[in-house]
Amino acid sequence: MRLLLHVRQRSILIALMLASVLFAPVVARADAVAPSLVVHLRADHIEFYYDRYLIEADGHVRVRMSDGTTVTGDAFSMDLKLNRFLIASHVHLQSSGGNLDGAAIADFLDFRRIYFVPVLAKPDRWTYENGDYRRPIKGREMPGDTFYFPDLSHATPQLSAKSATIGAKSYVRFGDVTSYVFHVPVPLPSYYVYFGTNQDLAQNSLSGANLDLTWNATGSNNTISAVHLRHDTQNGNYLAFEQHFAGAHEYAVVSVNPATRLGKFWNMNAGDRIGNRLQLNVFEQYYTEQHLFGRQHAAASYTFLDLNQALPHSYLQAVIQQTYYNLIGKGSPAIPNHPIQLHIYGSSFNNRIFKTPFYEQIHWGIGFNHDTSTGYHNVTGLQTYGGYTYTTIWDHLLGYTVYLPNFKFGNRDNPYKTFYFNATLSAQRQWFSVPHHTNSATTNLSVSRQFSRDISAYVAYNVTNTGDYYNHGGYTPYAPTDASGNPDYGFLAFRGAATLRTATLGINYSANPDFTASLTFDRHKDFPAAVPGVFPLPPTNNIGQYLYTNYLGQPPYDITGNVRARLLPHLMIDVQRTYFFNFGTEKWSPQFLVQCTQ
Amino acid sequence: MIPRPVRAVCAALAVILLAVNAPISITGQLLAYQQGYVFFTTGDGFRVAPTVRILDDRTKQPAKEAPAPRIYARATFDASGTVVELDLSHRPLPVEPLPADVQQFAVVASTPFPNPELIPKASDNAAPSGMDVGVSGKIVLVTITVQVPPSTPFGSQIFITTDASGWNPQAIAMDRIDALHFRITRHIASGTILHYLYTRGSLQTEERAENGLDRKPRLLRVSDADVRLVDDVVYAWADQSGGTQLPQPNTLPTPYNPAPFPNLPPGLPTPNPR
Repeated sequence: MRLLLHVRQRSILIALMLASVLFAPVVARADAVAPSLVVHLRADHIEFYYDRYLIEADGHVRVRMSDGTTVTGDAFSMDLKLNRFLIASHVHLQSSGGNLDGAAIADFLDFRRIYFVPVLAKPDRWTYENGDYRRPIKGREMPGDTFYFPDLSHATPQLSAKSATIGAKSYVRFGDVTSYVFHVPVPLPSYYVYFGTNQDLAQNSLSGANLDLTWNATGSNNTISAVHLRHDTQNGNYLAFEQHFAGAHEYAVVSVNPATRLGKFWNMNAGDRIGNRLQLNVFEQYYTEQHLFGRQHAAASYTFLDLNQALPHSYLQAVIQQTYYNLIGKGSPAIPNHPIQLHIYGSSFNNRIFKTPFYEQIHWGIGFNHDTSTGYHNVTGLQTYGGYTYTTIWDHLLGYTVYLPNFKFGNRDNPYKTFYFNATLSAQRQWFSVPHHTNSATTNLSVSRQFSRDISAYVAYNVTNTGDYYNHGGYTPYAPTDASGNPDYGFLAFRGAATLRTATLGINYSANPDFTASLTFDRHKDFPAAVPGVFPLPPTNNIGQYLYTNYLGQPPYDITGNVRARLLPHLMIDVQRTYFFNFGTEKWSPQFLVQCTQ
Repeated sequence: MIPRPVRAVCAALAVILLAVNAPISITGQLLAYQQGYVFFTTGDGFRVAPTVRILDDRTKQPAKEAPAPRIYARATFDASGTVVELDLSHRPLPVEPLPADVQQFAVVASTPFPNPELIPKASDNAAPSGMDVGVSGKIVLVTITVQVPPSTPFGSQIFITTDASGWNPQAIAMDRIDALHFRITRHIASGTILHYLYTRGSLQTEERAENGLDRKPRLLRVSDADVRLVDDVVYAWADQSGGTQLPQPNTLPTPYNPAPFPNLPPGLPTPNPR
């Protein structure tokens, strides 16, 4: 058993090594997007205004640039988005042009223009072009706001610090920080903020949480190291750690979450855009049950690999999934299944059908599923049917979509009397080597109208058909018991085909961009009919939300109210709750859904 | 008794005479106070009299602090253009371009000459830095409408993730307006350059390009207009291929489920041949 354990651990190590080799270019090629300039700032007091991306500093200001230029002064102001800074009062400039004293200096980094007010015998105005301090252009007119400080009379800093390292148009890393969490000062040794446009540096590998206080401890143009203090309904309060890497075309994020709970997920999420037409994404998960870094009581791993190849007017996607449910061996209570799934999908672009307002899309796929282990429900393989256990199941699918976006009718000259009709029809059939096939079809119809500047509304009708048809036999009559323990005879008619119908009325009220409200009323009429207690509720994620929203057993009526209002210049709050009209034990959704947005 | 009209004329004349002799003063924000000069954020430096009075602008009593950057000030000049009084204020005072009669007092060693880089050109909609030039920063009503793929689950919420929010995947929530469209309206200052993408609430459900690959962030430059309408189309989501929902790589998946119904009642017999 120990040998088996070692073999498995070794295979994991090899996999991780392969992954590290695969993503080694992440770090190597990251230099390609290194910032052209880094500004090192020290001062008695540095403040950061997160909502406006402003850094303001006062007292013994010292700035050192990556080209060796040093400037000291009494005050510093930098607009990170405009990528320019100002140093004012008792300025001393030490550069390749020599040492000079002045009243103020402003560096417009994007334009490579430095505006200086030297004070020699008299004050003057000099401009340096392209970092050439040896040849000042004397007397040339400067932009009108060159030396302006921002108006901070109504602004509140989000943190203060003693030092800052600023990567132009990319990041800032503060030192000796005091952060203000709900106005409570929290001392931190450092804090990192990324404000560049490389979205890959924001990729994450953590699951959702109700609350996440992130301490970006350190970072650069290509990396972020972050500690998360989190809370969710499953795990309570816990810590997590996440390390990000990103280059011009690739990224990798590794994390452990929750780090301070028995069950830990060690995740790696990585991607690489190889040229203009090929892309690889990998999600690797290693699950352990262990106290801190102690002996593991259970361990499992999951690999998700997604390879995309763009083709002329279509694309291919290969998806590989592999799960080891038990890496410990027989000493673990975990099931020993080891399923592998490989799928290749193809999809066309959306094509307009001749000159009609209709569009279409076709997709197809072929898949391989395999599991020889005995485990889940003591079943060997994937599925037992007709006395035969299938350890391998092949499948293939074909699907198409036709849709009509925004067909206008009514008084088309008056925007408040124009109706918009949208329609979608999607259908798919999937065949399996187990002798059955599944059909799924979705139909969406909606009519919408803007009644006034403030109010718009829509009615929609959605039908989802799902059928699982066996060549011989299939589903047999069954009467499950409802919440009262009585048989649900309505379910007896179920033979593997379900229909979910939803009629929706949605009304939006938007008084202004800072306050909106919406009301959505849904009527579900499904087969098999929803009966309280018959259908299990869908699984929830860490924050208590259902993993899917369209499911058997939905309450027949629900109404959802949503209010969104701006609390602060950079903060909106979104409050939502649903009422289920006393369906079984369901009255209101378990809790208010509160989201903070911008 | 002096008639009322005469009194009014006398008062007006007195005001005019006082105004003529009134010292010239300006307000602004201090940039520096050093070496016998006071500098305002316009970049102009003025000679300061050795006997300059440093007062609190509100109380007109001697100020308790020295002039320093960021403090607002009212500078009063004598006839020679030297600052003889400086009234300090932490409350904002108007910061305006210097009037011509004060501009002559600014001390500068070199002869000023125009900067050709500051003359707007027709082609200068955007500088190499990407910053718009010639925009006023006025608030623009921006309405963004997006058409989502037909495969989008009907219960989905759509969000906008932006570089301004550190790519938070739920930065801006949108409202559904029909089966295929979502909309949001925001006040955004002109000159703003926004990089953004659409998500269904996480980076795993972010939009993909029409060819199935990650797409570059969309770019919105807000120009000087009263209203700006943006219409976008999302072709695909990262967690879907064509119309097929891909597995969610978030937690360990459950073992292979041969049935397409994820939540059938417990105890239901598995399909069998007859």
